[in-house]
Amino acid sequence: TNPHSRRYIGLDQIWEDLQKGISQVYARQSMERKRYMELYTHVYNYCTSVDQSASARQGPNPTSTPPPGRVSAAKKDSKAMTGAQFVGFELYKKLKQNLQMYLAEKLKAGENLLDEDVLLFYTNQWEDYRFSSRVLNGVFGYLNRHWVKRECDEGRKEIYEIYSLALVIWRENLFKPLNKQVTSAVLNLIEKERNGETINTSLISGVLRSYVALGLNENDANRTQSLSVYKEAFESHFLADTERYFTSESQQFLAANPVTEYMKKAEARLQEEERRVQLYLHESTHDQLARKCEHVLIEQHLEQFHAEFQTLLNDDKNEDLGRMFKLVSKIKDGLGELKTLIEAHIHTQGDVAIKQCADTALNDPKLYVQTILDVHKKYDALVQTSFDSDSGFVAALDKACGRFINKNAVTVTAKSSSKSPELLARYCDTLLKSAKVSEDAELEATLKEVLTVFRYIEDKDVFQTFYSKMLARRLVQHTSASDDAEAQMISRLKQTCGFEYTSKLQRMFQDVDVSKNLNERFRSHIASSTPLDLDFSIQVLSSGSWPFQQSVTFSLPVELERSYQRFTNFYSQAHNGRKLSWLYQMSKGEIVTNCFKNKYTFQASTFQMAILLQYNSATSYTVQQLAENTQLKMEILVVSYSSQIKILIIKGTSLFVRFSDQPKKLFLIKKLRVNINKPVKTEQKQEQEVTHKHIEEDRKMLIQAAIVRIMKMRKQQKHQQLLSEVLAQLSSRFKPRVPIIKKCIDTLIEKEYLERLEGEKDVYQYLA
Amino acid sequence: MMAESGDTTEKNQLFTLKKWNAVAVWNWDVECDTCAICRVQVMDACLRCQADNKQDECVVVWGECNHSFHNCCMALWVEQNNRCPLC
Repeated sequence: TNPHSRRYIGLDQIWEDLQKGISQVYARQSMERKRYMELYTHVYNYCTSVDQSASARQGPNPTSTPPPGRVSAAKKDSKAMTGAQFVGFELYKKLKQNLQMYLAEKLKAGENLLDEDVLLFYTNQWEDYRFSSRVLNGVFGYLNRHWVKRECDEGRKEIYEIYSLALVIWRENLFKPLNKQVTSAVLNLIEKERNGETINTSLISGVLRSYVALGLNENDANRTQSLSVYKEAFESHFLADTERYFTSESQQFLAANPVTEYMKKAEARLQEEERRVQLYLHESTHDQLARKCEHVLIEQHLEQFHAEFQTLLNDDKNEDLGRMFKLVSKIKDGLGELKTLIEAHIHTQGDVAIKQCADTALNDPKLYVQTILDVHKKYDALVQTSFDSDSGFVAALDKACGRFINKNAVTVTAKSSSKSPELLARYCDTLLKSAKVSEDAELEATLKEVLTVFRYIEDKDVFQTFYSKMLARRLVQHTSASDDAEAQMISRLKQTCGFEYTSKLQRMFQDVDVSKNLNERFRSHIASSTPLDLDFSIQVLSSGSWPFQQSVTFSLPVELERSYQRFTNFYSQAHNGRKLSWLYQMSKGEIVTNCFKNKYTFQASTFQMAILLQYNSATSYTVQQLAENTQLKMEILVVSYSSQIKILIIKGTSLFVRFSDQPKKLFLIKKLRVNINKPVKTEQKQEQEVTHKHIEEDRKMLIQAAIVRIMKMRKQQKHQQLLSEVLAQLSSRFKPRVPIIKKCIDTLIEKEYLERLEGEKDVYQYLA
Repeated sequence: MMAESGDTTEKNQLFTLKKWNAVAVWNWDVECDTCAICRVQVMDACLRCQADNKQDECVVVWGECNHSFHNCCMALWVEQNNRCPLC
């Protein structure tokens, strides 16, 4: 269909008009479709006429007659190729020269320009050139698709698609001579913006887009883009400039301003640079720029930051602390020092807070726990809000809390690291006795707080012992405010420490239920025969689960004998094979006075009841007589006696009481119910000592059990490894002291569970 | 007799009992409270049941000799030897 297709068309025939067309294109004159097609056709004609003559000669060769020989076929092939190459190359070369001349001309106008002028010149020229080159690429479409493609396929690196060729020519003829001026103008402009001036950012983005476009990857057949031009001509200078600028700025600023102000500045600067990347830099610059800025703005000043961190902590400047954290966290391994500092700070704060109230807190569990919680709450909030709950800071908080909770002024005064768990258990006791805890939301929050402290406690076994003792007392004496609260607390402990930790606590809970049931049955049992002469109830507990000591010698007063007998008979019938031991020291009752105008009701222990009942038969006894009649041991008798009779002063018809802590004052009792069964302080103290002793014994058993478990598995073990394994196994309960572990090993050797391996100094062997 | 004396002397007596809340613990009525098979007190569950978390199911057995054992321990014992391990 092409009328010229069979004619040979030389370059000189078309070039003149084609050149005119190219000038038209680069002048960005509007071009009609027809003219565009004309130009395209020139290229097409030129290429096809040569191409066809070549292929006409080549045509019959592979299909018709069998080839005369490989050599001649190859010759003809290569001849055809060189023919096509030659002619395409001429056109290509002409075009290249033309563009070079065009740009050389353009350069003259821009050579001497500086700053914004050169930017304006460069970006305008670039936009025009780029657009025109796109059009040119279309005009030379046929050349691109055939001659250029083949050249490229054969690996000729210096031949480009026409558009790429235009870019390469730009790079050589305009970019090369001009880029120093252009880049420094760009950098000046950026510095102006950093100094607070408003600039025309489109100039910068135009230049940088051009730099990016010029990065043709010469080694890649597909001519993919590389950023080499952008990086060499701009980025490296820009980064060096940035470093220079911020180094001097930050030094000057810090010399004149506090670190807190500097941090705001640095934060703002980092944001600005972030925005700069988004607005007009290539995205690939982002990471490097950020790192450079962080290095210059933060890392260079870390020492000053660290010094300031302590001050900020002291002054509770949480906002500034948060800012510092955000800045320093950008530096690799930068937070280490801050973590060390905050750990030390929290530890000191906790220590100081407890020291300030140590004298009172030693006997005031609530104050003690609240003091701990206040410190924890404060720094927990700090870690969460200012430090983004960073795991390293959480660990620092935990470590610091663990240290000051387990060792502080109170534990030092008490000379026992077990004071903390004891006070925490006592705090739980007061909590669970108070009616306030029955409110759900509050209870939930308070128990959570208790558990917060509990988790830091090293000697969890001490807590367990005291807790179970106090739970036992609450259950037996019905002083617990809410069963629900008790159950919740146990289930929380179970979550934290596992089933075994709370199994006895749960058994105790069950026993109380069983007892309720039992009482009802007993009541209906006596209702069917003669009723008792007093209001009797009983709690029957399973031995083993309850931390009560066995019963003491005591002669039950006859007035109580009948209840005792009736119940014992009833129980042995109901539960064959069980025997009851009565815990009189836990039992209590009420006794009514007949000797005053008012009928007072005393709430008294069973021992006190027995002593008071003695006065029904005589008005005075010696202590020895009382001891004989009640069979009580002297020390118990004295305690029971002193907490009531010494303080009961009966004057005429009114009752006065003298409290043991204020022995000189008399108090008139107006209430009709008087509790004379108040535990005396010395009694409590003794009991605590006994408890601690029991804990020591239990620990020895636990350590021995752990050693046996480990040795049974290992058969042979070195001393040091055995120690560390024991420590690891028991760490969830308590921290065994090394001398005690050694003692336990010796005990086990004596009991022939282990032996020292002969010939080895420190190896033990398990004996099955 | 006690009730009578209580009634007649109440006015003369200084104190009268009104209420008694007693506390007692129960044990198996046996001579030896440790299971000779697993060496755990019979009031506690045997080692197996403690490990399997079946404390509530672990009951105690004893014979005419009044030696007591955990039921599970005894069940294993009688498979080997049909008499009390302590007699």
